[in-house]
Amino acid sequence: MKPLLEAILSNGLLLDAAGVLGLGLIGLSAIRLSRRERSWGGTMMAIGAISLLAARLFILSKPLLASGGVFQALGSRTTYTLMSLPPILLTLGLAGIVWGLWAHEKWLREGRD
Amino acid sequence: MLVPPLPVLASIGAVRPVFLIVMGICLMIFVWRLAMGANDWAARLMVAGSLLLGLGYAVILPLYEAGIIESLNAGAVLENPATALAWQAVKLVVMNGGWFVFGVGIAMHAGILPSPATRMATSPRPEAVPLPQATPVPHP
Repeated sequence: MKPLLEAILSNGLLLDAAGVLGLGLIGLSAIRLSRRERSWGGTMMAIGAISLLAARLFILSKPLLASGGVFQALGSRTTYTLMSLPPILLTLGLAGIVWGLWAHEKWLREGRD
Repeated sequence: MLVPPLPVLASIGAVRPVFLIVMGICLMIFVWRLAMGANDWAARLMVAGSLLLGLGYAVILPLYEAGIIESLNAGAVLENPATALAWQAVKLVVMNGGWFVFGVGIAMHAGILPSPATRMATSPRPEAVPLPQATPVPHP
C-alpha cells in the first residue's frame, strides 16, 4: 500500500476527531451568532450542528457500543430505532445548517444595506 | 443497480441522495454569497470548507448511495478492494476536513477564534476587510 493512503486510513481517528471538532466549532459559533448578534439563522445552524454532532458521535461509537454488548441489552426493537436515527439526524442537521446559513447571510445583507 | 420504478421514488432512501445534492450545492452558493467581497481568512476558510463539503455531499455521498462506489463495510465482498479503499480515504478526508475547515472559518467569523485578518486590521492594509462589514471589492 502507498504510504500516504496507509497514513490516511490508519489515522482515521484523527480525521474523525477533526470532523467532530469542526462540527463543535460550528455549533459554538452558531450559538454565539444567535446570542450576541440576534441573528435567528444562528439558532437554526446551532440545531443543525448539534444534531449532526449527535449522529456523528453515535456512528463513531457504534463499534464500541456493539463490542460492549449494549445493543444486546437494549433489545432488538430499541436497537432498530437507534440505528434508524442517525441518517435522519444527518439529513435534518445538514438542512438546518444550510437554512441557518441562508438566514444569516440574508440578515447580514439586510443589516448592511 | 436495478431500480424498481415508482414506489421507491417516494421513499426516504431514494429522496435522500437528491436532497444531499441540493443541500451541498446550496451550501456552496450561500457561503459564496456570504463571503463574496470579503477577503479575510474567515471568508477564505469558509469557502474552502464549503467547496470540500459540496464535493462530498453533491458527488461522493450520492455515488456511494447509488452503489457506483463500493462501501467498505466489514464483511462486504468487494469487486475491487483497492478502489474501495481509495474512495474511503477520499471520503474521510473530504468530509472530515470539510467540516473542520468550515468550522474554523465560521468560528473566526463569529469571533470565537481570533482571525489573522482582524489582527492585521490595525496595519495599513486597506484591503483587509472583515467579514460582517464586507464591501464588494472590484476586480483588478
